[in-house]
Amino acid sequence: MVLFDNVLHRVRFSKFMAIVSQEFDKPCVDLIETLLQHGRLSLEQIFDGFRDRKSSGGMEALRGNIHKLVMARYVERCPVAEPFLALPSEEEAAPAKRRGAKSAKIFFEPETLEQRVLAAAVPPEAIRFSVELNPEISADTERDENNSPSNVGEKRKHDALESGIDGGVADKQVVLWRVNFEEFIRRLRHKLRSLFLSHLSHNIPTGGGWWNEIETQDVHTVRRSVASCLHGDFPIVLSEGQICVENVRARLDDEAATVFSAMLDASRSEEKKLKIPSSVPLSVESIYQEVIKSEKDRTKTLEHIIPVLDQLSSSPPFIRVIGDSYIIDFKHIIELAQTDEVESIVLKKYGKDAYRIFRLLSKAGRLLETDKVLVTPQILVGVGWDNLRTTGCANIGICKAILLQLASGATRKPALWICTEVNVDSVFVEKKETANILSKMWQGDYLQMEKLVAGPTHFLLWKVNMINIREHVLDDMFHAALNLSLRVAYELEQQKEILNLGVHGPVKEKYEKLRKVRFLLESSRMKLDDAVMIFHDF
Amino acid sequence: MSCFQGPSSLKRKRPELKSPAQSLTEHERILYDVIRSKQDIGIWTRDVKKEAKLPDNVVNKSLKALLVKNLIKEVVNIQNKGRKHFMATEFEPSKEISGGTWYLEGSLDREFIEALKQLCKEQIRLSGVATLEEVTDSINRRQAFNVGMTKQQIEEIMRTLVLDNAIMEVKSNGMGEFASIPFGKVCYKRIGKGGLRGEPKAEAGALASIPCGVCPRISYCTPDGIISPKTCVYFKKWLDF
Repeated sequence: MVLFDNVLHRVRFSKFMAIVSQEFDKPCVDLIETLLQHGRLSLEQIFDGFRDRKSSGGMEALRGNIHKLVMARYVERCPVAEPFLALPSEEEAAPAKRRGAKSAKIFFEPETLEQRVLAAAVPPEAIRFSVELNPEISADTERDENNSPSNVGEKRKHDALESGIDGGVADKQVVLWRVNFEEFIRRLRHKLRSLFLSHLSHNIPTGGGWWNEIETQDVHTVRRSVASCLHGDFPIVLSEGQICVENVRARLDDEAATVFSAMLDASRSEEKKLKIPSSVPLSVESIYQEVIKSEKDRTKTLEHIIPVLDQLSSSPPFIRVIGDSYIIDFKHIIELAQTDEVESIVLKKYGKDAYRIFRLLSKAGRLLETDKVLVTPQILVGVGWDNLRTTGCANIGICKAILLQLASGATRKPALWICTEVNVDSVFVEKKETANILSKMWQGDYLQMEKLVAGPTHFLLWKVNMINIREHVLDDMFHAALNLSLRVAYELEQQKEILNLGVHGPVKEKYEKLRKVRFLLESSRMKLDDAVMIFHDF
Repeated sequence: MSCFQGPSSLKRKRPELKSPAQSLTEHERILYDVIRSKQDIGIWTRDVKKEAKLPDNVVNKSLKALLVKNLIKEVVNIQNKGRKHFMATEFEPSKEISGGTWYLEGSLDREFIEALKQLCKEQIRLSGVATLEEVTDSINRRQAFNVGMTKQQIEEIMRTLVLDNAIMEVKSNGMGEFASIPFGKVCYKRIGKGGLRGEPKAEAGALASIPCGVCPRISYCTPDGIISPKTCVYFKKWLDF
């Protein structure tokens, strides 16, 4: 069975290590690296691996490091190999059980069999992050594994193949440790949110046009980042992580950034799942306590915090106020990040006018609380018409046509559709040009189009369907990530000889160029992976 | 350049007292009356023919004569640029015909719009947060254009700037930077502190930063196909340091 998410995680290993290296010392980073490389290991195996290293410092030090990493939830005990399902689904139960332990790392949509198996496989929090190396617990775990003798051989074979450990490990009564991907993804999500906040407060657009203009500012920005990373000793992703943090510091309103990140920190320990729509409610006091933890903000008072919270809860709202508590609106922030990514593609691909039109349509779609709009002519006139007027996008003809369609039994919600005729005035684009742009975006699957016939005349109605676009963009992202990986491999293959000659050889220039090419491709892939997480994991 | 001419509505002329209309032939008089009756809306040639009920050649001849006598003029109807549209010279085309302030001779006056957008953006950058009224007053005080701008016109510009993602439309919460603005009032806010000269720093999305994100042939691209990442011309150009 191919674990798709595990394949994606492999690309992120360097990011995970970068996160750990920001919080812990080198032995912990080495420990995480070992676990990432081998999948699941017992304490003894880790110790054996470290025996030769100077930094290891003996078994006690290793236990201490494991303890630290488990406390930070970066490392966890492996889940139960054979989870018990209350209502197993007949024939599927056996293979599902076999997959259980492996697929505990991945995140499925709810309501699937895998989801249920995963939930059953995850040990209670107390055991999952227990650092007591109690033989009884180990024995229990092992006994659980032995409960299904028909599968155990196959499972071990599977383990050995994937994690590279020998079969002997499972024979001993030991606790197996592995990296907790969930926690890493959660940390990355927080980081991306912070980055997104900075992005929002600073947004896009310059440039435009089409491919000929591609080598404009953004490419140069990436190139500059590459150049700066080349001079550092860190791997590119670590530098990128630093860039994220620096972006937040440099671009955001400092006060808002501080309070927001304090809220993230305060809510993090309460997050049990990855895809949660909002944080736990946080009181002003708890946010304040978190803010003053840092030395820089120790002098801040509650009077400093409250206006910032008001600012964060005003439009566009990053947090919501419920009574005396504040909640981070994760879902909204992620949706905004996705919209932002899509809009930047539209800007680059179709130009500035198209970007404006797309945003108009996108905003018009969001303006209506669709669930609240009952599609009756009266409400359409009262609500839909007003909304269309608000966006400056409707004329009487369209409304009449919509009403006629409604009278004939149409059930669609027409106020979300915008007519070509009226876009012109709203976006300062010539009518003919507007039609061309709309048509191009429709051909590229960025817009939906519908023809509305009203007697002898007809109108073309346009709409942004973000659900379809998200799928389409994610698909393109996977394709692009594959292309970047293939191109890296191709470049290295082509320049094999230069690589062999090394940096001090006669082809120093070519070697440097190859190095830059590789860094640009790999840093782009890492940046792309951030975007993939926004669309896929969060 | 139109930005120094101001909106057309302010240039509307008063009907002249001594009109050369007295020297018109009978056909010319009929046509002139038909066209003049349409005031600032004007009329399409075919409709003139219908209403005047005169033969085509007579209409064409008379229209030419009226043009020469400067009693009527041809105007561009932005709703249908291909049609010949006539209007009495004493009127200026209405907003429906000319497209309003933003149009010059039937085309979008991009230069004027861009100049105005820059001014509005500059105003928001300087003040951080401003209401529509404040921006309108400030633009009018500067007298960059020889006519005053209305609140509605500035609102249209602000709406476009919001769509450009150059500014944000927010509601005042009456606190902090919004302290001078009544609670709940719609106002405009700059986006971030900005890079150089307060301009938002360009930050392309991850996919838009690489060739594949904007590639028109992405659907034909396969690992070993005719179009592939190995042979891609866009990649080659991108990686050409």
